[in-house]
Amino acid sequence: MNHNAWLAALTGELRRHGVGPDLTGHVVAEAATHLTESGEHPLRVFGPPDAYARAVADSLGGPDRRPPHRRPGPVRLAAQGITKRYRGRTVLDRVDLTVRAGEIAAVVGANGSGKSTFLRICAGLVSPDAGTVRVHGALGYCPQDGGTAEFLDADEHFALVGGGRGLTRDTARRAGRAGAAALDWSPPAGTQARHLSGGTRQKLNLVLARLGEPEVLLLDEPYQGFDRGTYLDFWHEVWRWRDAGKAIVVVTHLLNQLDRVDLVLDLTTPRERAA
Amino acid sequence: MTRTLVVAETALRELVRRRSVLVILLLLPLAFYLSRRGDHLGQSIRFVCLGVGWALSTAALFAGSAARGIEPRLRLSGYRSLHLVLGRLLALWTVGVGLSVPYFVLILVDQRDVRYGAIALIMALMVAVAAPFGLLLSAVLPRELEGTLVLLTVVGLQMVMDPADTASRALPFWFSREIGTYAIDHTDGGYLTRGLTQGIAFAVVLTLLVVAASAVRLRQRRHLRFVGA
Amino acid sequence: MDQERRAQWLRGVLDLCVLGLVSRGESYGYELSQALRAHGMGTVQGGTLYPVLLRLQRSGLLTAHWREGATGPARKYYRISPAGSAALRAAATDWTAFAASVGAILSEEPKR
Repeated sequence: MNHNAWLAALTGELRRHGVGPDLTGHVVAEAATHLTESGEHPLRVFGPPDAYARAVADSLGGPDRRPPHRRPGPVRLAAQGITKRYRGRTVLDRVDLTVRAGEIAAVVGANGSGKSTFLRICAGLVSPDAGTVRVHGALGYCPQDGGTAEFLDADEHFALVGGGRGLTRDTARRAGRAGAAALDWSPPAGTQARHLSGGTRQKLNLVLARLGEPEVLLLDEPYQGFDRGTYLDFWHEVWRWRDAGKAIVVVTHLLNQLDRVDLVLDLTTPRERAA
Repeated sequence: MTRTLVVAETALRELVRRRSVLVILLLLPLAFYLSRRGDHLGQSIRFVCLGVGWALSTAALFAGSAARGIEPRLRLSGYRSLHLVLGRLLALWTVGVGLSVPYFVLILVDQRDVRYGAIALIMALMVAVAAPFGLLLSAVLPRELEGTLVLLTVVGLQMVMDPADTASRALPFWFSREIGTYAIDHTDGGYLTRGLTQGIAFAVVLTLLVVAASAVRLRQRRHLRFVGA
Repeated sequence: MDQERRAQWLRGVLDLCVLGLVSRGESYGYELSQALRAHGMGTVQGGTLYPVLLRLQRSGLLTAHWREGATGPARKYYRISPAGSAALRAAATDWTAFAASVGAILSEEPKR
């Protein structure tokens, strides 16, 4: 690996580790200066790019999470009094959630606590027994699985979903490929969805939810099957969407992400919590 | 209109990619035709028409089931249920025309002394009825196996039941037997009129039912309100 | 000196050494690594040094700015801040006391 390749890899890894673009510029430039002056090999001086990026991110006390001045925008999603019963069991009991533009809400809870059901109600795919949902703007929804067509390749998916949003085939394809690139994926032309790995299919799923830039994004554990790098890319993208003023709801069971979001909706019932 | 065409084109691509299924569907009417080719030429025409209907409704059944997963997402991305169902029907009708043309040519070449125009009419009606019939089955029966069994029953009954029996008029492909008699046995125009009426009625009613089933399944739920951005 | 032991000791005091070196005048990463070696600290690789500098900068003990050199590339120069000087003084006192305690233990004559 020569200097430039190492520095390019470092840039990508810093981004993956949530280091902001300004600081990334400084860190990379400083490393470049050092390499020029010492004339030594980057792997010897700094080690592998991902390890060095992690050391830099750690020295910051974690990733650069939120921009300093953020005012929450107008309300984008307002769910009120959502109640749902399945076979006599109350799964959701008068649940409220309000998400504004530029906010990320995490929906957490034990298995079977109704996280996915709540999201499906917000998306209008399931009717609640009581309660209302108001959505300001368009809605993008990424299901936990499914949501893709076995016999279509990625570009055809982009054209199909983009067509609903009023995008032309070319626009949809460009937008889809840009979204895929942000997740470190370049979809091979002609490879049908049924031949993609689980993680890659989830990338497609996620990109499709984002097509046409909907104001509200509902993501149901979209990172299943992602490797660690893609997982970091995913959160990095979510923060970027938030900073672009989207309202995002993410179902997650990974509690270590909770400090990176603005709101947490815990669906674990008090009874379950006591048990 | 554009949205319907996008759905139609995509659905057509999906159908064409199921190669093995397509080959089986294409050969199925041929098997029907050859089964009676030796002893009863007229019967082989009736059978090949039923074979086309069965093949196309099976294709529609599978296409409808396969689309269940992605349709809610398409609905959310701006399609109306009408776009989705009409697009899919257009694709299936196209496949149906592609499926029946070779068989019509076969009959033209292989058969003498029949009313070719009436046979073309049977095939056109067959395509028009079979596509919504298969889609409707996929909308009502969630599993493909159940739908396939129902199709098998319907086509089986259609073959064995006497077309003169009033009850057999409730079967979706009855018109093919009736118009078939007109085309092969040179009976009076009453057969043609009755067959045509039943065929068109089934095509219209089945199409409306599919549209309605899709509208109900993909309806905008009452608890969710979109407010202009 | 045992390399491994030195590295182990250095880990605890590297930030103080860096702070001390910068307090003698502004400096940049490569120069600091040379200075550490000259002071007998062995080779401190960039992968270790720069995160320490970043942490010191983040906690406000160092300030940094980029400057074009007369020769060579632009460098990021670090300078100690008033808070850094205060922290260094306090740490120097603590270290002297700590080193004296360690010294006392190590140099005690065994009792007969």
